[in-house]
Amino acid sequence: MAAAMRTRSIVSEGKEIQLAGELVRMGARLQLLEAEIGLSREKLLRLYKEVKGESPPKGMLPFSTDWFITWQPNVHASLFMSFYRFFLDHTAVRGLDALIKSYRLYQEHVALNDSEPVLTLTRAWTLVRFFDAKMLQLTRCDGCGGNFVAHAYDLTQNYICGLCHVPARAGKSRRAVPVQRTVGPVAAIV
Amino acid sequence: MNTAELHNEVREVNLAYLMLAQHLVRRDRDTAAFRLGIGNDLADLLERLTPGQVLRMASSPMLLCRFRFEDRMLAELLCDHEREAGMSRLHAAILAAGQPVETLA
Repeated sequence: MAAAMRTRSIVSEGKEIQLAGELVRMGARLQLLEAEIGLSREKLLRLYKEVKGESPPKGMLPFSTDWFITWQPNVHASLFMSFYRFFLDHTAVRGLDALIKSYRLYQEHVALNDSEPVLTLTRAWTLVRFFDAKMLQLTRCDGCGGNFVAHAYDLTQNYICGLCHVPARAGKSRRAVPVQRTVGPVAAIV
Repeated sequence: MNTAELHNEVREVNLAYLMLAQHLVRRDRDTAAFRLGIGNDLADLLERLTPGQVLRMASSPMLLCRFRFEDRMLAELLCDHEREAGMSRLHAAILAAGQPVETLA
């Protein structure tokens, strides 16, 4: 063990520290770092405190797949997963890099839409793990043809996504900010 | 617009497109694949083009980029014709990510 530690390249450790720091800035919890980064727990903990200026939150990560099925999280999870799947299908990027690149695209799209990222990086990572474990899957909506996050092994015939069929109270939580409407005169011209 | 002007406009769009595409691919080819809707082989080609080749390619009187979203639903979502503009855009992005990419034959 000690020998292995000594032969470890400082350059590669430097890269890992940099990557871990980036992940913390993006909102990764300690559990994600421990699973994905080959640094000791103490180092990760120190790094987390240094970057965030506070101790990491305690307690377990959310472990239920149901959250991803509720309306608003489902839209966000499906958006993230669409990017992730795009990378797997059309590029050579995999693993943590694919997670980071998909999450960046997700943040970008949410910001353009003036809304808050409902999906945190840690949630996105959990989502990918649920897909790997075949607990969740992408199901094609019969209405729009888009792929949406759904429970695996659910009946997927005649599946209609939450965007084609918006429930009455969708997005009307107390915290929801009034959306600036830009439809109107522009639409009239068209 | 006369023919000479038309050719000029097309060339300018071509040049702007090629330069942007090359820049995107060189910066992050994976994310560029999504933004441009292209496969690995096309990304390779764009990445390798020399400035001279970019200029020669751009000087064609035909547009080099073509309308990417042939899906009716997606096209409608992108021009925001209904309800909330924001949600339509997220919906459009979900559909766009599922579209096939351009590849070389």
